[in-house]
Amino acid sequence: MELELGETRQLLRAAVRKFLEAECSFERVRECEREGRADLKLWRALCAQGYLATPFPSELGGGDGGIKDAGLLVEEVARRAALLPIVEVLASALTLHHHGAGDDATTLLQQTLSGEALPVPALLEAQDDFDRIELRAPAADGLRGEKFFVDYATAASHHLVTARDSDGELALYVVATDDAALKCEALPNLGRTPQSRVRYDGARARRISGPDGVAFLVQVARALTCAQLLACMDASLSRTVAYTNVRKQFGRPLSTFQAVQHHAADMAMHIESSRFLTYETLDALDRGVASEEQVALTKASLSRALPDVVMTGHQLHGGQGYIEENDLYFFTIRGKDRCLAWGSAEECLGIVARGVEQKARWL
Amino acid sequence: MNYQWAAEHLAFRDEVETFIHEWRTPALLREYRAREGAGGGPLLTEYYAALQQKGWMRMCWPREHGGEGQNPIYRFILVETMEYWGMPYGNLTYTSIAPTLATHGSEEQKQRYLPGIWSGEYTFAIGYSEPNAGTDLASLRTRAEKVSGGWRVQGQKIWTSLAAQSTHIWLAVRTDPDRPKHAGISLMVIETGSEGVTIRPLPTLSGLTTYETFYDNVFVPDENLIGPLHGGWEIIMHALNHERVGLSPTGNLARNYDLLVEHLMKHAAQKLQDPVLRIRLAEMKMEVQRHRALAVCNAVSIARDEMSPGLASMAKVSGSELRYRMTNLAMDLLGRAGALTEAAGELAPGGGRQESTWRASPILRFGGGTNEVQRSIIAARHLGMAR
Ligand SMILES: Cc1cc2nc3c(=O)[nH]c(=O)nc-3n(C[C@H](O)[C@H](O)[C@H](O)COP(=O)(O)OP(=O)(O)OC[C@H]3O[C@@H](n4cnc5c(N)ncnc54)[C@H](O)[C@@H]3O)c2cc1C
Repeated sequence: MELELGETRQLLRAAVRKFLEAECSFERVRECEREGRADLKLWRALCAQGYLATPFPSELGGGDGGIKDAGLLVEEVARRAALLPIVEVLASALTLHHHGAGDDATTLLQQTLSGEALPVPALLEAQDDFDRIELRAPAADGLRGEKFFVDYATAASHHLVTARDSDGELALYVVATDDAALKCEALPNLGRTPQSRVRYDGARARRISGPDGVAFLVQVARALTCAQLLACMDASLSRTVAYTNVRKQFGRPLSTFQAVQHHAADMAMHIESSRFLTYETLDALDRGVASEEQVALTKASLSRALPDVVMTGHQLHGGQGYIEENDLYFFTIRGKDRCLAWGSAEECLGIVARGVEQKARWL
Repeated sequence: MNYQWAAEHLAFRDEVETFIHEWRTPALLREYRAREGAGGGPLLTEYYAALQQKGWMRMCWPREHGGEGQNPIYRFILVETMEYWGMPYGNLTYTSIAPTLATHGSEEQKQRYLPGIWSGEYTFAIGYSEPNAGTDLASLRTRAEKVSGGWRVQGQKIWTSLAAQSTHIWLAVRTDPDRPKHAGISLMVIETGSEGVTIRPLPTLSGLTTYETFYDNVFVPDENLIGPLHGGWEIIMHALNHERVGLSPTGNLARNYDLLVEHLMKHAAQKLQDPVLRIRLAEMKMEVQRHRALAVCNAVSIARDEMSPGLASMAKVSGSELRYRMTNLAMDLLGRAGALTEAAGELAPGGGRQESTWRASPILRFGGGTNEVQRSIIAARHLGMAR
C-alpha cells in the first residue's frame, strides 16, 4: 500500500500541468465552447509533447506507464476544463493495445500514439444502455445504423463502433470518419462538449476486437471518467477555499464562519474518498484484477458525490460563482455531464446490486 | 503508487483471524458484554493473557517503551480484524492510557502500572469531562491543592466511564487557577477506592452505564502525578490522539452489512428479489467502501509517520456518521423486526445488532472530539481555511 505518486509520476503531473496552464487559458476554453468544437490545436501540441503515449510501453514510443498514468493525464486535462478527447482516445488506445487484433489495430494504435489518428468510441444507441447494443455488424454493403451520444465524433479520425455479428456476439469495428457514408448531427449538452448522433449509411468497417475488447473499453473509459469527476470536484473545492479565504462579510473572511468551514470539510471528505477509490480502481485495472463491480461502485460513488460537491461550491461563492466570467462553472457543467457518461450512478449501482450477496470489503 | 496490501500484511490478518476463531466463543462474548468492556472475568483474563503472549497490543510501540517497533499499519490491521469479528482487543486502558504512561510516566510509574495493565488486573477510568467542561475541556475546574506529601482533590467529573469496574482513575485536575486555562492542568492517577471518592451510575441509551464521580478532599500522593506539574494538557492531547486511532474502523461496518445480508438470505429471501432493496444494499456497500477509503488513507499516512490531523478527522466523521445511516437503513429494510432487541430472541435479526448499534450511534458522533470540532479541524488543517 503506497498512496504517494512517486517521483516519476509527480514529474509527469507537474509537466502536464505546466504545459496546460501555459497553452490553455480559460478564455481559450470559452472560445471552444462558444464554437462547439474540440481544441484540436491544443490536442496536437499535447501529442507532440509525447504525453499521450506515457501509459504505453516504450516499444510503442511510450513511457512504460500504465492506466494510472492515463488517469493522471485525464485529471490534468479536466482540471483545465480543456475540450480535449482525452478519455475517448486513451480508452480507445488502451483497448487497441490490450485487445486489438490484426494489422488494422496495430497501425491505428501507432498512429494514435503519434497523434496522426484520433479514435473515439461509439457505443451507445438510442436507449443509452451498454447492455442493449443492437447495431448489426457490417454486411457486404458496409455498416448501417445509428450511434448516439458519441463524444468528439466530429473531431475524430476514426470511430470504434460496437456492433453484433450474426451469432449475437459484440465486436468492435473501426470506421474512418472521412467516409462519405457517415453523418454527424450535433447534440448540444450541459457539459458543452462536442457530442453527436452519428448515422452510418454503408460505411466501410473493419473488425478489430471481440467482446473482451468491448467489455475492457467500457471498464477503462468508466474508470478514466472517474478521474475527470475527481478533477472537477477538486477544482471546485480549491476555488471555493481560495475565494472564502479572501471574500469578507461582517468584517471577516467567509472561511472563518463555522457553517462555511463545515460545508468545505464535507466537500473535502468526498474528494479524498473519491481519490482513493479512483486510483485504487485504476491500479486494479493495471493489474488486470478489477471486477465490473469495483469499477461500477467507484463510478457510482463519484457520480453521487460530484453534484453535492459542486453545488456546495456554488453555495459558498454566492453570486460570484453564478456568472460565467468566473471559472467555477466549467467544473459544474462538465462534471455533471461526466456523471452521466459511461454509466450514471443509477446504472452503476444496478451493476453493484447484482452482487449484494457477496461480502463487503473491509481491508 | 500501489493500492495492494503487501503479502506480509495479509498474512498478519490471517494470523489474527486464526487466533480469533480459536477464542471466539459465545461464553467469552457474553462475559465481555456483562463486564461492559472492563477487564477481569475468568474467560476474558485468559483471553487477554493469550493476546498479550502474541505481543500484538504492543508490536507497534517503540522498542524503548517495551514494544517491537513495528510499522503502525499492523495496528490498523489488528483493529480492523478484531472489529470485524467483534472481539475485544483492550479498552482505553490498553489503547490510550498504557502508551501515554509509557511516554510520559516515570520509570517507577511504568513499573508500578504497566504490568498490572497487561495482565488485566488494572483498569483505568478516564476523568477529563466535567459538567461544565465538555468540548471546551480546558475549562475544567476540579482542583488539586498542594499539601504535605501530595495533593488534596476537590471537585466533580462526569462521564467517567468504567469508574465502578476500575481500579484507578486517570484524572485531569487544575493545579494552578491563576495560569491561562490550558497551562494550569495536571494529570494524576487516583485509586478508585480512595477515601472521598463517590461514584454515581448514569445508565445510557446504549444499555451501558457511565458514571458521575465526586472527589471530596481526596488525598493523592506526590508519586501519582504523571509528567510535569501543570503539564497535563499535553498529556491529555497525547492520550486523545491514541484514543482516536481505531475510532473509525471499517471492520464492524462491513460486518454489519454482511450480517444483514446473511439474515435476509436466510429469513427473507423473497425480499432480496426486490430490485429496490437490492439498490439500497448496493448504496450501503458503496458507502462502506467510501469510508474504507478514508480509513485506509488515514492509516497509511500514520504508517508513513505523517499523522495528518485532517485525514484522522475525516475518518472519524465518516465512520461515526455512516454507523448511524447504515443501521438506520438496515432497520428500514428489515421492517418491524428491525426494531426487535436481543431479548426478543430468534426473531431479532442478527441478535438485534442493527437496533442496538443504531441506539448507540450518537456517542460516536459527539464523543472522541465532536464532529463539529472535527469538521473545523479539516477546514483548518487539511484545507488551510483562515480561522
Ligand atoms: C457514554 C459516554 C461516555 C463517555 N466517556 C467519557 C470518559 O470515559 N471520560 C471522559 O472524560 N469523558 C467521557 N465522555 C464525555 C464526552 O467526551 C463528551 O460528551 C464530549 O466531549 C462532548 O462534550 P459534552 O457532552 O459536554 O457536549 P458539549 O460540549 O456541550 O457539546 C454539545 C454540542 O454542541 C457542539 N459544540 C460545542 N462547542 C462547539 C463549538 N465551539 N462549535 C460548534 N459546536 C460546538 C458540540 O459539537 C455538540 O454537538 C463520555 C460521554 C458519554 C455520553
